[in-house]
Amino acid sequence: MSRKKGNNLFKNIASHGFYNACLLATILILSAILFASAVIRQSLNTGMKNMKKRLGSDIMLVPKGAKENAEDLLLEGSRNTFYFDASIYEKVSSIDGIAESTSQIFLKSLSADCCSSEVEIVFFDPETDFVVGPWIEEEYAKTLSGNQVIVGNSITVENGVIRLFGQEYPVVAKMAKTGTALDSSVYFSKETMPDVIAHAEEKGSFLTKEQLEGGIISSVFINLRSEAKLEKVLETVHQTIGDIFDVVYPKQLNTSLAGNLSRITGIVDIITYALGGLLIVLLLLFHSLIMKGRKQEVALLRILGRTRKTLIRELLSEVGVISLSGTIIGCLFSMLIVFPFGTYIGMQFQMPYLGPSFAKALLTMLLIVLFVSAISLLTSILFILHVTHVEPYLALRREE
Amino acid sequence: MLLAENISKRYKNSRRTVLEKVNFKLEEGEFCAITGESGSGKSTILAVLAGILRPDSGKVCLDDADLYALSDKDLSYIHQRKIGYVPQANIFLKQYNILDNIVFPYLSGDTKNGQELFERARAHLEILGIGDLWDRYPYELSGGEQKRACLIRALLMKPQIVICDEPTTGLDGKTGKKILTYLDEYRKSGKTILAATHDDHVKACATRVWNI
Ligand SMILES: Nc1ncnc2c1ncn2[C@@H]1O[C@H](COP(=O)(O)OP(=O)(O)OP(=O)(O)O)[C@@H](O)[C@H]1O
Ligand SMILES: [Mg+2]
Repeated sequence: MSRKKGNNLFKNIASHGFYNACLLATILILSAILFASAVIRQSLNTGMKNMKKRLGSDIMLVPKGAKENAEDLLLEGSRNTFYFDASIYEKVSSIDGIAESTSQIFLKSLSADCCSSEVEIVFFDPETDFVVGPWIEEEYAKTLSGNQVIVGNSITVENGVIRLFGQEYPVVAKMAKTGTALDSSVYFSKETMPDVIAHAEEKGSFLTKEQLEGGIISSVFINLRSEAKLEKVLETVHQTIGDIFDVVYPKQLNTSLAGNLSRITGIVDIITYALGGLLIVLLLLFHSLIMKGRKQEVALLRILGRTRKTLIRELLSEVGVISLSGTIIGCLFSMLIVFPFGTYIGMQFQMPYLGPSFAKALLTMLLIVLFVSAISLLTSILFILHVTHVEPYLALRREE
Repeated sequence: MLLAENISKRYKNSRRTVLEKVNFKLEEGEFCAITGESGSGKSTILAVLAGILRPDSGKVCLDDADLYALSDKDLSYIHQRKIGYVPQANIFLKQYNILDNIVFPYLSGDTKNGQELFERARAHLEILGIGDLWDRYPYELSGGEQKRACLIRALLMKPQIVICDEPTTGLDGKTGKKILTYLDEYRKSGKTILAATHDDHVKACATRVWNI
């Protein structure tokens, strides 16, 4: 009999097909919106968390005029190059009030044989580094020696090495995912620079005069002593190296980014609540229309001896089937949009965006399926109770 | 034995009291016809007696059970097994064919003998001359054919009392006679019939006529 019972359920649903379809659509849209907003929220938060890790210095000195380029590089990983003389680092690092400092060199991104897209090559100083280190995904021995590299998260590593300009470089660590172009960066020790540049040139990469000559750095990252005055330190830097630099404040960028984040999640929340509220009103409407349409049918069944309890159970299972399929389809549908376009969404918000892992997405989906099904059942229960409690004779006579 | 005491009923939003302190007793084995002009409350008293319309006051007892004091479960049992009700209008579940309409309402709960019910329904459709219509949908049937299907549905579980609201109204003489014969046969098998009617044939067949 169970097969027949299942059939009946679908027949009953089909007999009020239009409103049930509306109900399904409402549940589908509600779930899709909830899923998308949950995933977007999660992704922005993870993106932010990871971003924080690499905006870990108080100030960053860059050549004059390169401020915006440097900020773009920090936030979005856009490929930029700017240089000043390497001697600047020596002069600056000994200034009073500076707790730690390190320098980096950005080589303009080059197409390399390892990777489908161009890679950004960064040289840093493992001795003094406090910027790259905290951002590494797993533990590594801090001494990056010889031609070893650390790679961005989306660079594919084969057998523990990457191939660049015909050379093989052993990979010792991988960066945490950022959701930006920085994921396709490669980090070398400073010492390797002449070597890498030579190989790059051999392979016909276009390099600037400065890059070929060496003796350059792109930026100096500085952390101040807690008691040091920022203005005073900058004043001294100015006196020491002259008016040839701009200052970027990574930690401030971080703060303003966090501000953006809460503004964006605020907007996402408002949209979610507003649409969610509207859709719940629609749920109520469609549940009421469906049950109104079933009034006579329910009355007839009661007159023929079906108990209220059985009827309530049958009606609830119909609502349950619709709700469950609607919310599952809605989440899957939402996945199809949110996942492939994650990077695009992040770009639109101009925020780091890191999509959730498969397991986390599944968990989110499960929670939404349960939540939406519960809401749908709850909004239907009032109408189900009503329709099973009206006087059968009165309901029977009234054709809806 | 069905007993109604001091039944009063006024519909909500209606100025008129349809039933006022009505007393009625239906004895076992009777065929009682209720007559009265249109609007006199025949359908109303039938519904009250069938346990599907709560009166404002008074009580209805089947044997010793006060219908309107029973739990939903017990009243449902009575509707399934003891009182068959045929409404004035032919009402079906439009998503099911005729045979399913007759049998399915009884298939949930403790009714396990599905096969037997289907067979019984087919046999009765045959008896009433609509055996070949079993797999049609309600809207495909004429009014007379629908009425017969409703009658079979009400009688399927062999209830001891059958309450019919105008079983022959609007039907041709031949069909009316078929239905009447069917009801009379049923009564002769030891059951009780109560029918509201304007039809002289029904009155002639009845063992008692009650003018409301
Ligand atoms: N749901 C209702 N709400 C208000 N008044 C109603 C309702 N149903 C019936 N009535 C009124 O109650 C009175 C009795 O109705 P009922 O249907 O019992 O009459 P009847 O004797 O069966 O008539 P007929 O022979 O036309 O079927 C009528 O005056 C009718 O207008
Ligand atoms: Mg009537």
